[in-house]
Amino acid sequence: MLRESMEIGGREVDVQGVTKGFDEDVDIPHAQALVAFAEAVVARDPGRMAAGRAALRVAVGEAGLVDAAAVAAAFHGFVRIADAIGIPYTTAARGADAPEIRARAGVNEFYRVRGGE
Amino acid sequence: MGIALPSSEFPIRTDLAESHDRAWAAIAAPGTWLTGARRVAVAAEVRNARRCEYCAQIKAALSPNAVQGEHAGLGVLGPAEVELVHRVVSDPGRLSERWVDSLLARGLTDGEYVEIVGIVAMVMMMDACAAALGLPETPLPAALPGEPTRYRPPGAKKQAAWLPLVEPEDAVAADGPMYPSPKAGYIYRGLSLVPQSLRDYWALAFTHYLPAEEVYRFDRSIRALSRPQVEIVAARVSALHQCAY
Repeated sequence: MLRESMEIGGREVDVQGVTKGFDEDVDIPHAQALVAFAEAVVARDPGRMAAGRAALRVAVGEAGLVDAAAVAAAFHGFVRIADAIGIPYTTAARGADAPEIRARAGVNEFYRVRGGE
Repeated sequence: MGIALPSSEFPIRTDLAESHDRAWAAIAAPGTWLTGARRVAVAAEVRNARRCEYCAQIKAALSPNAVQGEHAGLGVLGPAEVELVHRVVSDPGRLSERWVDSLLARGLTDGEYVEIVGIVAMVMMMDACAAALGLPETPLPAALPGEPTRYRPPGAKKQAAWLPLVEPEDAVAADGPMYPSPKAGYIYRGLSLVPQSLRDYWALAFTHYLPAEEVYRFDRSIRALSRPQVEIVAARVSALHQCAY
């Protein structure tokens, strides 16, 4: 979805950043602040979330901050449904899953861990 | 009900705040397989799981099977239900079909399993949203009396996932509305064994992420963030949960 949303605007993104961190020059405004906030929400770290809110309020405004919080929260739900129901990950993106994108993003490593259970 | 979102120091979208209100009301009501009291107990157990030492040990272990112990449950739900809630909350990326089958063998029905997963996902979403906005957790609602509907979609079958799903072509009128289109992705179908859970969950998810009709429209954004900004948050959260979605 990230890659598609960039390509429609004639831009590119290195999907490896999803797992390994994005470069400072990633072509998305305020990407670093958004990612830092997302990480704080997953960690449920009150201090980092407060710092993230302050940064995003300046960077993307109050409405943008609310949207960032809501999107981060939404994916706390999606991942649990996908993982608990055992939805095959190859059906992601409406069946348009691209193995090379998964490999590049480092997603295959997740399933290597899971296969070891 | 006194939801927390209106107490925010900055404006919260009305649709977002109202969706929380509706979701808590849905959790409090009798479901398809669970009473209102059991549904609220699941919500309480979601919050309790964050303090469970055994969950922390499982999460830290190289393999979830390497740790022996017991979850610190609240004493309302049965052991299989507590295991389901705690593992889905704390370590969802390492669940397996064998683990699902072990819970079903302990007496949990597939319908109960799916309904509980739906409640876990809703509570996780709402609590994460409140925390992200610096707001307190919404108090749990009082359970409503009444009996579960015990409706099982006749078209449900186990095929693509670990639990039965209703493929769009197998849905019948009695199921009620489920899919935004016949091409709805598998993430939409995940809760389809319990159609009401599917509807409750997606009514909430649409206000947090994007409505179904907007998901594949990459050329515009209906949010204050641009679409790439939305997706970079989504992708990072998914990656941290070790989820391909």
